[in-house]
Amino acid sequence: MFGIDRRLLQNFDWMLLLLVIAIVAVGIINLASATHVDDALTGEVRRQLFSVGVGGIAMVSVLAIDYRHYERFATAALLVCIALLAATLIFAPVIRGSQSWLFGGRLQPSELAKLGLVIALARYFHRNPPGEIRRLRELARPVLITAVPVGLIVMQRDMGVALLTLLIASTYLVFTRIPWRSWIGVAVVGIAALITLWMFALAPYQQRRILDVVDPGRDPLSSGYQAIQSRIAIGSGRLLGTGYRAGTQTQLRFLPTQHTDFAFSVLAEEWGFVGSCAVLSLYLILLLWGLRVARNSKDGFGAMLAVGLVGTIFWPLAVNIGMVLGLAPVIGVPLPLFSYGGSALVTSLVGFGLLLNISMRRYVF
Amino acid sequence: MPVENVGVGRLAAGVDASIVNRLMFIAAFIVLTFAVFAVRLFQLQVVEGEDLGNRARRNSVRTVRLEAPRGDIVDRFGRELATTRPAFGVQVMPAELRERELTLAALASLLDLDPSELSERVGTPKGRRRFQSVRIARDLPYDSRTRVESHLYALPGVFTDVSPRRYYVGGSLAAHVLGFTGEIQIEQLEKRSFADYRSGDVIGQAGVEGRFESILRGRAGGRNVVVDVAGRVDEVLDEVEATPGGTVVLTIDRDLQRVAEDGFLPDVIGGEEKHGAVVVLDPRNGDVLALVSRPAFDPNSFAGGIDSASWKRLAESEGRPLQNRALAGQYPPASTYKVFVAAAGLEEGAISPDDRLFCPGFFRHGRRIYRCWKRGGHGSVNIHEALARSCDVFFYQLGLKLGIDRMAFFANGFHLGRRTGIALGNESAGIVPTRAWKERRFGEVWLTGETVSASIGQGYNLTTPMQLAVAYAAIANGGTVFKPRILLRQAGPDGTVEQGPEPESLGKVPVSPEHLASITRALEGVVYDQGGTGARARIPGVRVAGKTGTAQVVHLKNTEGLEEEEIPFKFRDHGWFAAFAPVEAPEIVVVVLAEHGGHGSSAAGPIVNAVLSRYFKSSTPGEPPRRPEASEEAARVVRN
Repeated sequence: MFGIDRRLLQNFDWMLLLLVIAIVAVGIINLASATHVDDALTGEVRRQLFSVGVGGIAMVSVLAIDYRHYERFATAALLVCIALLAATLIFAPVIRGSQSWLFGGRLQPSELAKLGLVIALARYFHRNPPGEIRRLRELARPVLITAVPVGLIVMQRDMGVALLTLLIASTYLVFTRIPWRSWIGVAVVGIAALITLWMFALAPYQQRRILDVVDPGRDPLSSGYQAIQSRIAIGSGRLLGTGYRAGTQTQLRFLPTQHTDFAFSVLAEEWGFVGSCAVLSLYLILLLWGLRVARNSKDGFGAMLAVGLVGTIFWPLAVNIGMVLGLAPVIGVPLPLFSYGGSALVTSLVGFGLLLNISMRRYVF
Repeated sequence: MPVENVGVGRLAAGVDASIVNRLMFIAAFIVLTFAVFAVRLFQLQVVEGEDLGNRARRNSVRTVRLEAPRGDIVDRFGRELATTRPAFGVQVMPAELRERELTLAALASLLDLDPSELSERVGTPKGRRRFQSVRIARDLPYDSRTRVESHLYALPGVFTDVSPRRYYVGGSLAAHVLGFTGEIQIEQLEKRSFADYRSGDVIGQAGVEGRFESILRGRAGGRNVVVDVAGRVDEVLDEVEATPGGTVVLTIDRDLQRVAEDGFLPDVIGGEEKHGAVVVLDPRNGDVLALVSRPAFDPNSFAGGIDSASWKRLAESEGRPLQNRALAGQYPPASTYKVFVAAAGLEEGAISPDDRLFCPGFFRHGRRIYRCWKRGGHGSVNIHEALARSCDVFFYQLGLKLGIDRMAFFANGFHLGRRTGIALGNESAGIVPTRAWKERRFGEVWLTGETVSASIGQGYNLTTPMQLAVAYAAIANGGTVFKPRILLRQAGPDGTVEQGPEPESLGKVPVSPEHLASITRALEGVVYDQGGTGARARIPGVRVAGKTGTAQVVHLKNTEGLEEEEIPFKFRDHGWFAAFAPVEAPEIVVVVLAEHGGHGSSAAGPIVNAVLSRYFKSSTPGEPPRRPEASEEAARVVRN
């Protein structure tokens, strides 16, 4: 069962792999511009290349084992993730207000937790196929599976990642059949929760960031600064862009966190409408391709897992691009596969390893 | 293409139809999200692209102004009066501070500041404000400057800069001539004539600095630079160099100016400084060789912007140091006025040089008694003796004979009662009363008793020291009233020299040269005759002519019978002395007013003496030469 079957190679999803490689490559070229100082490769580029190597090995390792085996370890994997999250609360130092890194900044368990969560939820929804849900109590298991890691991430004061994890889990809501009356109940509870969150859980700077989406000119020099500079950068790209390494917003460092959260602004400034649309198209094809893998998978677990993996890419992407384009609040969420950041890249690549795994084992032998 | 694939693709064994349905829903949601992003990108990059692109350029391209160094102001021999020196400043950029507390504490100790106060001034700004530097000092003294510079390498986030600062070499020397510079006022900015000035610009606000602003200012250049978010220059795009201001060469002689000012120093160390004014003119062309007003101020204290408290203190100070007494101060001309009455009498034939009038020490007019300053009287005096000994009774009678309007006609002929038009501004016109004037001013009829006071320069008569100097210059040069000239020439930054205005005649006095000559002889008698009042103006080797005056500040009855030392300071008389020399061919006119100085001779005489002595001191080695061309040029003008 560990051997590589020739048929597996024949069925290998080269398209999916090529899309991933293309996006990662563009991301690294963009990173080189965003961190450009002189003509040497910057430390960020080298570290990102190293992460690509680590991620590639992890991807191949994940690929080697039939994904159906992972179903059995789903609960264990989730528990390991929860343990790691708990460990950060105890051992990790506070960096920029949040406490989310282990092993001296080399591992961010909340990234791994997304995968653990997706596997666990895929297992649950595979075993409890979609049907009419009459009582909310019936959703207790998946809610618990989601709530424990999200709760721990909230305790790390990493609101952005907590929200993302919640959004990823919510992908599975599509597969529940909740009558519209219940949706009203959910909506009321949700709005009440949001108001409570606004009043008690959000720090003033977080409230300001949300207000800045509504009116970025409110305080152009501090809280709305990032949003405004990002919009200026994107707009000054015009149709064809300012050219590689020629964006003034980027090269003169007017853009904040331009190699991580605002990496897409760099791309939009230097490559213009054409370049940014091209990269967004790559993402769109990638996501739809992921859904195709789900649809073509040979069993329910594969389908559920593939949908969840699409969610782990789509939601951060939607939040990041929304933020960069000034449509969503400034939340420190990097663009998957594209932004600088080792843990996120490795996790994403592992996720695509799973997706490739499902894809190439789509035939029943 | 992938969308169709999801729907049309082959059904796999394990995926039922309802799941496929849901996958379609997800695909639709994703496509919709990307459509929103594409529309937004189109809006930002294509629709608003131009505008946002401009904002990006404004972000990064900055026009840095290159200030033009202000031109120097020098005296007639090229000696600096006002120049520009570098001022050393310190700024802190919060974003660049590594060890905030440590760095600020070190900086505080280098600058002798309170660390917590410094820390508060820098603050902990957020966002882009972190890149806005906070100015800590504008003009550091030399020793603090070297201390900061030698530690700069260890203080990341601390920056130094050098900016031009106006420097008045002599401190308060010639302060009222030079004026001062300051930031342009809001009201000035609104005027059209200041259209090319910007807020924060330094502009000449008074005196020569204000009047010759257009010469001194130069033209600021500019440099378009690309800056990064911290404002550091990344690249220089283009540059227009600044054109430095031109040099203004004044007619002032710095040595004479200093000697004249020193005359007002306290008699004893720590004593009170004397108040008053001095005007020194070249009678041949109207050049102002010295112009003093005391008390003065130090224009250096304005150079970096003056705080409102210091300004208020200066403006409201009892001695009113900001007022230019030589131009704006109006005083009764007193006995110095007698020369104009004498000129009128001679020219009108009201009296001949040989006519004698008797002075018993008083003069009765109507029911009033007008006293001569000399109780015992001068006896029988002719006009020469009356001027030399300053006999009041002689002029009471002469004045009555002439009448107020004819006296006024001659005073006006010497340009009294009108502004001289010197290019310094804020000049007073003085008063030469006439019947019509009194009618206009008070709606009252002129009384002949007032003619009596007017004939010795009291009563309504008011004169500025500058007016008196111009009038005496006309006596000295044989009758030409010159407009006082302060700008000798200007030198452009490229070395071009443009001469100042030609000596400008304001007219001839309505007095014949013979009569002027006999008045000059009488003024010589003031200095050299037995009983003359101006012996203090004598200097070795040069014949001096002059006239003293004692202007009453309050009515005599308040002070009559008191010795001078017993009279309260502010009730003491103002002392005048107007002199010129050499008598044969006058080159210099000196008018001194000593406020509350008592008698003209004792208060103002020593200053006249000092100025004349300095002027005629035989040229010693290292001395700047007297302008040899000046006399020829002037002689030509006078002949014309």
